[in-house]
Amino acid sequence: MAAAVPQRAWTVEQLRSEQLPKKDIIKFLQDHGSDSFLKVSKFLRALKNYKSKVNPISLMNLKINIKIFSLQRFKGTESINKVSEQVKNVKLNEDKPKETKSEETLDEGPPKYTKSILKKGDKTNFPKKGDVVHCWYTGTLQDGTVFDTNIQTSSKKKKNAKPLSFKVGIGKVIRGWDEALLTMSKGEKARLEIEPEWAYGKKGQPDAKIPPNAKLIFEVELVDID
Amino acid sequence: MAVEELQSIIKRCQILEEQDFKEEDFGLFQLAGQRCIDEGHIDQLLEVIQNEKNKVIIKNMGWNLIGPVVRCLLWNNKEDDKRKYFLMLDLLVKLCNPKELLLGLLELIEEPSGKQISQIILLLLQPLQTVIQKLHSNKSYSVGLALSTIWSQLSLLPVPYSKEQIQTDDYGLCQCCKALIEFTKPFVKEATDDKENSLENQRLKDELLKFCFKSLKCPLLTAQFLEQSEEAENDPLRSFASEIIGFLSAIGYPFPKMIFNHGKKKKTWDYLEFEEEEDKQLADSLASLAYLVFVQGISIDQLPMVLSPSYLLQFNMGHIEVFLQRTEESVFSKGLDLLENSLLRMEDNSLLHQYLEIKSFLTVPQGLVKVMTLCPDETLRKKGLAMLQLYINKLDSQGKYTLFRCLLNTSNHSGVEAFIIQNIKNQIDISLKRTHNNKWFTGPQLISLLDLVLFLPEGAETDLLQNSDRIMASLNLLRYLVIKDNENDNQTGLWTELGKIENNFLKPLHTGLNMSKAHYEAEIKNSQENSQEVQKSKDFCSVTVGGEEMPNMPPEMQLKVLHSALFTFDLIESVLARVEELIEIKTKSTSEENTGIK
Repeated sequence: MAAAVPQRAWTVEQLRSEQLPKKDIIKFLQDHGSDSFLKVSKFLRALKNYKSKVNPISLMNLKINIKIFSLQRFKGTESINKVSEQVKNVKLNEDKPKETKSEETLDEGPPKYTKSILKKGDKTNFPKKGDVVHCWYTGTLQDGTVFDTNIQTSSKKKKNAKPLSFKVGIGKVIRGWDEALLTMSKGEKARLEIEPEWAYGKKGQPDAKIPPNAKLIFEVELVDID
Repeated sequence: MAVEELQSIIKRCQILEEQDFKEEDFGLFQLAGQRCIDEGHIDQLLEVIQNEKNKVIIKNMGWNLIGPVVRCLLWNNKEDDKRKYFLMLDLLVKLCNPKELLLGLLELIEEPSGKQISQIILLLLQPLQTVIQKLHSNKSYSVGLALSTIWSQLSLLPVPYSKEQIQTDDYGLCQCCKALIEFTKPFVKEATDDKENSLENQRLKDELLKFCFKSLKCPLLTAQFLEQSEEAENDPLRSFASEIIGFLSAIGYPFPKMIFNHGKKKKTWDYLEFEEEEDKQLADSLASLAYLVFVQGISIDQLPMVLSPSYLLQFNMGHIEVFLQRTEESVFSKGLDLLENSLLRMEDNSLLHQYLEIKSFLTVPQGLVKVMTLCPDETLRKKGLAMLQLYINKLDSQGKYTLFRCLLNTSNHSGVEAFIIQNIKNQIDISLKRTHNNKWFTGPQLISLLDLVLFLPEGAETDLLQNSDRIMASLNLLRYLVIKDNENDNQTGLWTELGKIENNFLKPLHTGLNMSKAHYEAEIKNSQENSQEVQKSKDFCSVTVGGEEMPNMPPEMQLKVLHSALFTFDLIESVLARVEELIEIKTKSTSEENTGIK
């Protein structure tokens, strides 16, 4: 029950030129594009607008979308359930140098850390990027050596020990922490096992006796969010 | 005589009430006391001071004697006398009014210059501490004043920079630093012990903070530290640094806090008014602190081990910029060390190009170029170069591209340009070898970059000698591209741009070479013809170095220089010929292939 295929409104040359106003193309797509198509193009727009720069590349994307969907997937020709499948498989034609972290997040494989919850949090207050979080932590290597902690123990007396406070999600700390803390709720205590790629990688951290390619284990308790 | 005078004044004042002491009494007392000292009547004077009945008089007027007593202590060599003067000093410190005593002591500290500075300070620090502790009100102000006065004097002393200098400690700076720490410790303890944190206590902390920052700048900014080994235990300046950083932590400014506060518009100490400090001086202190923590490892164990390497680099870049703006070797070399320390934490190609939007990320490599080209010390020049290469290695592709453009446009130095061009060649090489072409070193972006490389700045009139490094590097790059990139592939876009390259670069280069060679050959001929005659200096400009005019270059030398210039031109010409030969071969073979197909 394919709907009538809409007519091509412009030639390829017209599309390639700079003269065509973006609005017209967008309107055309919105009028005729299927839900899945629109969802994918939205996804691609979000991808490119991550840097919040409006540039001709967004226009390029729309043109690419037309190319990809020249299989005539216009309104009513397919079910929406297949969208997730297609979203995963869509690739941009242009080169993807490792430019933005956001692109890496989206097309890298599974997250390079694991989290096991030791104590549940309130499950309602989650930190957002840019929030200040306060936490207690202990860091150990795989062999159990403690390389850092801010918890006051009887042996190592740190005057006025306070929880560590910092803005989360903006790259101040190792990636494993940035990613994991955004999934924790206030009051939660978790055990994180972070692969070296999201910790200190090939270089390690000689100041802390962390060897190269070390997997780090942290017990983190998120006490407060500002 | 003097003793009698003194005793008569004492007698008169003994019966008076404190408030009835007149100004002339003070004056007479001082004069008489001074005379006693001058004439050597130490014992009698001591007796007067020790006499219980004179307690009130001494309390009010005694401080005037401090000056003469101290001076005697410094200049007198007799052990016996010295002991007595020390005793006198102790007594005066115990008995006299602390407020006035404080001023008296500080005046004495401010007086001397040269090697006497440290002598006086070492002598008076202990009494000064005792006096301040006796003050009941406004202690913080006094502590601040004392520290400020002492620091001002110490900042006049030269900072030792070699192991020997540190050991001999000619001007006593190291000894003073050690003593100064002991002086300050009880006040730091007082500031931290006070749980209520009253206003007075806050003021005390403020004064201590000011002192710490000043110390970070002088002597610590220029201080050279010994290699970290067993020797390090004995390094007095390192100990000093360690204690200062400890003080900062104790009064509420631990280093980790400063890292996490980095980037905040309003710093926690903004409300403080540093009298001589402006923002810039504060920047020096903070840079010094960063160096001490990261490079010298002082209290680096206090840092939480979760900070990302790129954030640490971002944090340190500002400090590195401060260091590189200075020209003293002992200062900017710290910038190089801090840069190295920060860069080595990162993996290659991992520094995102967005960081280049931060000003310091571009001014630092420009600072490195300055070091590489202007520093008189060869080791430091080489280190500057190594750091620039390290920095380039850490940047991602777009970052490298942006930096290359920036340095080609701003360095104005043929050698630096040649270095960059070589880097460009390496990036193109890497890019061509990958299956996925790097869009920054192939295609249109590369063409745009090559426009900066494959051209002569002043066309055919470019000084080829001056620019020889750059021109050779450009020609080598071109030769590489011609060999590696086949016309059919045209991955680098070279072949489409060939016409432009020939017009902007190759043709003017030919012309320039011909002109230059002709010019120099004519010069050589001139020289040879005139070698019999005495060189008249009227046409030449003279060169004066250090007030002495340099003699004209002897004719044989001149000839040598001219010949070596010709040699350079020949070199350039041979590479140019080879490049054109290769281009011809390649274009001929492709056109043959094309005709073959037909």
